[in-house]
Amino acid sequence: MGEKITFKSFKEMPLCAMSIADMTYNFTGSWRNVRPYYDFKVSPCRLACPTAENIQRYIFLVTENDYEQAWRAMIESNPMPSVTGRVCFHPCMEKCTRKDYDQAINIPAIERSIGDMGLDNPKWIEKARASKKEKIAVIGGGPAGLSCAFYLARQGYPVTLFEADDALGGTLRWGIPEYRLPNDLLDRVIASILESGPITVKTGTALGVDVTLDTLEKEYAAVFIGTGLTKSRPMGVVGEDAPGVERGLEFLRKVNGGEKVNPGKSVVVVGGGNTAMDVARCARRSGSEVTVVYRRTMNEMPAIKDEIEEAEKEGVFFHFLAAPKSITRSGAGPVKVVFQQMKLGLPDESGRRRPVPDGDKTFTMDVDTIFTAIGEEGDAAPFGKVIDTDGALIQTKNEFGQTSRNRIFAGGDIVTGAASVVEAVAAGRKAAERIDRMLSKQSEPAVEEPRTISIENINTAYFTKAKRALVPRIPVEQALGGYREIFSGFDGDLLRSESDRCFSCGVCNFCDNCWVYCPDVAVKRLADEYEFDYDYCKGCLVCVTECPRSAISTREEGR
Amino acid sequence: MKKVIMGNHAVSYGVRASDVKVISAYPITPQTQIVELLSEMCAKGDLDAKFIAVESEHSALTACVGASAAGVRTFTATSSQGLLLMHEIIHWAVGARLPIVLVNVNRAVGPPWSIWTDQNDSLSQRDTGWLQIYCESNQETQDTIIQAFKIAETVKLPVMVVIDAFFLSHTFEIVDILEPDEVRPFLPPYEPDMRVDIDNPHSFGNLASPGEYFELRYMIEKAMEASRDVVRDVDREFEKRFGRGYGVVKPYRCEDADYILVTSGTVASTARAVIDEMRGEGVKIGALKIRVFRPFPFQEVYDVLSKAKKVAVIDRNISFGHHGIFYQEVKSALYGRTNVPILGYIAGLGGRDVTPKVIRSIAEKAINDTHPEPDINWIGVKI
Repeated sequence: MGEKITFKSFKEMPLCAMSIADMTYNFTGSWRNVRPYYDFKVSPCRLACPTAENIQRYIFLVTENDYEQAWRAMIESNPMPSVTGRVCFHPCMEKCTRKDYDQAINIPAIERSIGDMGLDNPKWIEKARASKKEKIAVIGGGPAGLSCAFYLARQGYPVTLFEADDALGGTLRWGIPEYRLPNDLLDRVIASILESGPITVKTGTALGVDVTLDTLEKEYAAVFIGTGLTKSRPMGVVGEDAPGVERGLEFLRKVNGGEKVNPGKSVVVVGGGNTAMDVARCARRSGSEVTVVYRRTMNEMPAIKDEIEEAEKEGVFFHFLAAPKSITRSGAGPVKVVFQQMKLGLPDESGRRRPVPDGDKTFTMDVDTIFTAIGEEGDAAPFGKVIDTDGALIQTKNEFGQTSRNRIFAGGDIVTGAASVVEAVAAGRKAAERIDRMLSKQSEPAVEEPRTISIENINTAYFTKAKRALVPRIPVEQALGGYREIFSGFDGDLLRSESDRCFSCGVCNFCDNCWVYCPDVAVKRLADEYEFDYDYCKGCLVCVTECPRSAISTREEGR
Repeated sequence: MKKVIMGNHAVSYGVRASDVKVISAYPITPQTQIVELLSEMCAKGDLDAKFIAVESEHSALTACVGASAAGVRTFTATSSQGLLLMHEIIHWAVGARLPIVLVNVNRAVGPPWSIWTDQNDSLSQRDTGWLQIYCESNQETQDTIIQAFKIAETVKLPVMVVIDAFFLSHTFEIVDILEPDEVRPFLPPYEPDMRVDIDNPHSFGNLASPGEYFELRYMIEKAMEASRDVVRDVDREFEKRFGRGYGVVKPYRCEDADYILVTSGTVASTARAVIDEMRGEGVKIGALKIRVFRPFPFQEVYDVLSKAKKVAVIDRNISFGHHGIFYQEVKSALYGRTNVPILGYIAGLGGRDVTPKVIRSIAEKAINDTHPEPDINWIGVKI
């Protein structure tokens, strides 16, 4: 440590004020009245993600060229990034701070690119052995069940995965067309999940038919139900059983199963959700003229915006504010659909304005096929004797999906009603984590209210405006020619440049600004973190101002 | 090589002869031609220097401070408002003991806006610790630049060389232009005692406590005092080598003079013609040019003026609330040592011509004026 120098004469002094020895004797930390400290927040994207993907972290790892660790960061909360990177409604982008600066980061493109790398690098998968004795039953091989099985198997629980169909995937396989999610890719995703741990698959085994919940509850330490929605909702319209009136989901199932379909020249799809978009676009691929009829307006459509845009590009017509009133068909002639014109009334419980009939205004359309895609319903009848349901959906008592029976959990659409893949994945994971804690007798971790940041907390001087990078796509004409996947992922350069746009909101990404700018050299740069040296930090807070991402907070000393 | 060039270009050639390595400047009338020619020299390779264009005079001098601290010979030029904008860094260059040479072309300060000469811009930097040398001819200007670097690097204080706007800056005269090769033996490459060096890191300009600040100021004044001998010796060495010397002050026909006019800048040349004219009429009058204003040449001024019966100081400047600035300085040089009456005259502000007729009127007025004079004598002002 340096010692204080006292000059006896000007002759001992340098010509001008300059440092001639170190000042470590002077503990300037005692001058401080405000203390900076590293305080990482939760990025808004992660907060918005139903399964809380650590988006900031995996994008940071991409910028470090560490794709394997980026993939690991992803599968901590989502075992199928290749799937969600393709089909998710990406609420992360809606909340991306960069949206308030130029354009949101293309998070799904990064997610799918890294997810696909995981599939191409089987060595990245660490296969867990059956280290636990408690067996778990997971019912339903869709996103919720696959997710739950994955996170339990990773912990060493032997999992038996029951699936009513003859292949796993659920909605992913039967409900999403291949131009969005190719079957062979889905097969690889499922294979990667099954390889991660001791999972036994029993396909062709339906609950209530081949096995009962009663028996499973007795034989297994815990049961997870993720059977999804299995019934198409009826329109409640006169004549909806007529030939030429088809369930949209059934049509998609045929298409995804490789069956040849021919819905005819003129097709109407009733509904405004993702199923309606998928049905309409598949029908376009069969050469039909397709009109989507929706009872509200485009603003209220529950479908993913990108899907609506793609449908428009592919020549799907939209007719808003109309609902079928009656359907008739005489012999082999066209299906006559009478539509009631609607108008928007007061908001309903979903916050969207409720459609109400606009007087007695109607119009008629002659079509070859009318598809219904107004939503699906659950069928909770098979469970009703064992756990509480409302007949259609299972009732759970906490966010982990615990049902009225403590060892039976449920998640996904069968609990929430029609929702999303990522929400099902989240439900499966949360149930798995709770089951693990329950069986290993761990207490519930304390949940802190997450703190996040917004654009006001970003020092935008450090960022150059740059547009979002888009993934490559095939042209619309080519897309309409078949079921080839429309979009591809990023190559290495785009992946890096898009990831470099990330603000890394509220989380340190080792930019060195605090270390560089600290006028008192009071920031220590360690192997993978920085540390304040409070013996010398004067509390000037230059670090706080120059941190581009608000990863440093302050508090008054003595409080 | 002799050439007919303007005063501003005499500055440029002086800089070129001095092997300057970094020039940073911002254009301002009437200085612009100095750096214009220098930038051309840099572009053509006539001068191996880095020319740093900046957005203000504050930045220009700051860039010079940085370059000089890094250990290279550094030059800038400015005028009037530009010099005033530099003021903060004018002080800095002294405290950091950086041998920067700056040419200030004397231009009246606005408002009212003016581009013409008077000395208030440079004299308002009087107390900053810069040496100040006022020139009266193009040749003297070129030669003084070269001397200034040698003085600055010896005493480790910056030097301001001052010339009159237009009367000197834009006036063409024959100049014997010195080449770098001729000058190098007189002014060898700059070898700083201390410099910003990444291999030997120190921070500069740090906080000094009351326990040290006083001594650092004392050292500046000691350097200023020591510079008296350096200024004289450098001028003598220059004269020996190149045949031209300028002195700290320049007396003209003062040996037996009853009356002495004290002048500076281009007014000095004009005054000599008046002296000759009046001497021809039998008036025992002389003139004293003050060339080095800082450090103020107390002894030289005393030696010349103490023998006169009356002294008249012509000031192309005004210290509001006091008097002409040279007048104050001359009075303080003689204070307590002699009773010779000293009279002050303000003339030529904002570039108004100080013609032989004006100077003669001052001389005649001074001969008749009584001492002490309570009011400021404004020459030619329309009352």
